[in-house]
Amino acid sequence: MRRIIIDASKCDGCKNCSLACMQAHRKDTGTLYDLNLLDTDNESRNFIYKNRTGGYTPIFCRHCDQPECVMSCMSGALTKDPESGHVCYDEKKCGSCFMCVMNCPYGVLKPDDKTGMHIIKCDFCKDAGGEPSCVKACPKEAIYIEEV
Amino acid sequence: MKYVILGAGAAGITAARTLRKGRKEDSILIISTDDRVHSRCMLHKYLSHERDEKELNFVPEDFFCENNIEWMPGCTAVKLDTSSKELVLDNGQQISYDKLLIATGAESFIPPVGKLREASNVFGLRHLRDARAIDKKAEVSSKIAIIGSGLVGLDAACGLMEQGKQVTVIEMADQILPIQLDEKGAKEYQKRFENAGCRFYLGRKAQDTLCDEKGEVTRLLLDNGEEIPCDMVIVAAGVRPGTVGMDGEGIRIDRGIQVDKYLQTDVLGVYAAGDVTGLSGIWPNAMKQGETAALNMMGSEVAYTDTFAVKNTINFFGLASLCVGVIKPEEKDVVIAREDARNYKRILLRDGKVAGVLLQGDISHAGIWQYLIKNQIPIASIEKDIFELNFSDFYGIQENGEFVWKVS
Repeated sequence: MRRIIIDASKCDGCKNCSLACMQAHRKDTGTLYDLNLLDTDNESRNFIYKNRTGGYTPIFCRHCDQPECVMSCMSGALTKDPESGHVCYDEKKCGSCFMCVMNCPYGVLKPDDKTGMHIIKCDFCKDAGGEPSCVKACPKEAIYIEEV
Repeated sequence: MKYVILGAGAAGITAARTLRKGRKEDSILIISTDDRVHSRCMLHKYLSHERDEKELNFVPEDFFCENNIEWMPGCTAVKLDTSSKELVLDNGQQISYDKLLIATGAESFIPPVGKLREASNVFGLRHLRDARAIDKKAEVSSKIAIIGSGLVGLDAACGLMEQGKQVTVIEMADQILPIQLDEKGAKEYQKRFENAGCRFYLGRKAQDTLCDEKGEVTRLLLDNGEEIPCDMVIVAAGVRPGTVGMDGEGIRIDRGIQVDKYLQTDVLGVYAAGDVTGLSGIWPNAMKQGETAALNMMGSEVAYTDTFAVKNTINFFGLASLCVGVIKPEEKDVVIAREDARNYKRILLRDGKVAGVLLQGDISHAGIWQYLIKNQIPIASIEKDIFELNFSDFYGIQENGEFVWKVS
């Protein structure tokens, strides 16, 4: 499968990846320059933490080989695609129980801020050609795609 | 090789999927009392008419066909003969197996109070067939009494209030959700339920029933003498493993079907997974057990190790909560709480390690807490506000790009 590989040592916390994620998944149309950063419709699905050593830690969904989120989903909304290997989320099926939020050992998942009825989950930009926008936006090559 | 699975819930379905992944040619048969695959955690959405039967399905509609799994819906195994490796079904049919997985789940426990067990308007809420019966009875009911204010009781209350019913909940403990939440967290939900019209009797027990000539309970009598008039009663007072008919030779049944760490019973080739084992009662654990049992049925030796089950999430009226580990503090435990207008967060420390977490409101990124608690990760050396802990404090990455916990 294709995975976004992270080299945290290269990340300088510019958050271009988060902006690109928001832009790729925004509900309205427009360019990055008019993207409303406060609109909860535009939440980023990746997260950059400032860590204790003064650097930055990118926390991106790993689309795990043994995804704990899928193993906790009672509605069938989260599935591991046997072909792409990606963990897919079907918002319409989701029962909003948030067991997946509790079960992700890396704390990647969160309920959405807009409705509190869905989760925020990386979809590998499947609606934008399957090439993750975050990777394209990273100026440091701190994230890149690799076949694993 | 012929694999037979009893039950089409979280454990049964996951086992079947795992077996098919590993064995392309072998025959797999699921026998289930359920006539539809459905998620038990979503029955309240059926009661509220938010979802229909089809929308409770947690697998794709073509699951059985696509995976070449045979399914006998609406059939119950009533007898297990472990020496001839045969099952007898309620329709008289005999089914033979090479390897068997018992994943029959659990049944609502109806306490022997008054005529609760005999009355025709008393229901548990466990299966789709329960929800159907409740939904039908609700058409001619306006006052509904619910015994128990755990997740099932409150799920039922939510669904039925959505249908405009007058709901009264009776709870033995002094607070609602007594297993999941502390008093403060529970109050937040109680407020919301009461605003929606729900009435609570806390610290009260149903002691007796008054019935009419049709054999229906019309009043619940509480231990303080108060009477609750009702057209229907829903009992949400816990479950018992569904072991009926499974007492074949060599199968040990205590609280549930007894299994070893490979989820095999004392009989070679007969396994059990999910709620029927009594090991835990939550969805993620049932799925894992189903997977583990299936791997072992195919000849692996995989122990079921992820036994941690003191965890839950709650989501009512748009207020989410997450509770993991110890909720009730003991002497010497340190409790750190923080709150604002929208959030209540509480961490319980025991011997310098996190033993319990309760988050209400924003539960974003809270997945790390289960790992911290379950694995007893020391955090004393991390100089940081404990509520601000996140995965960057434990960040590790493997060659294949997957995260791994790094603990110093």
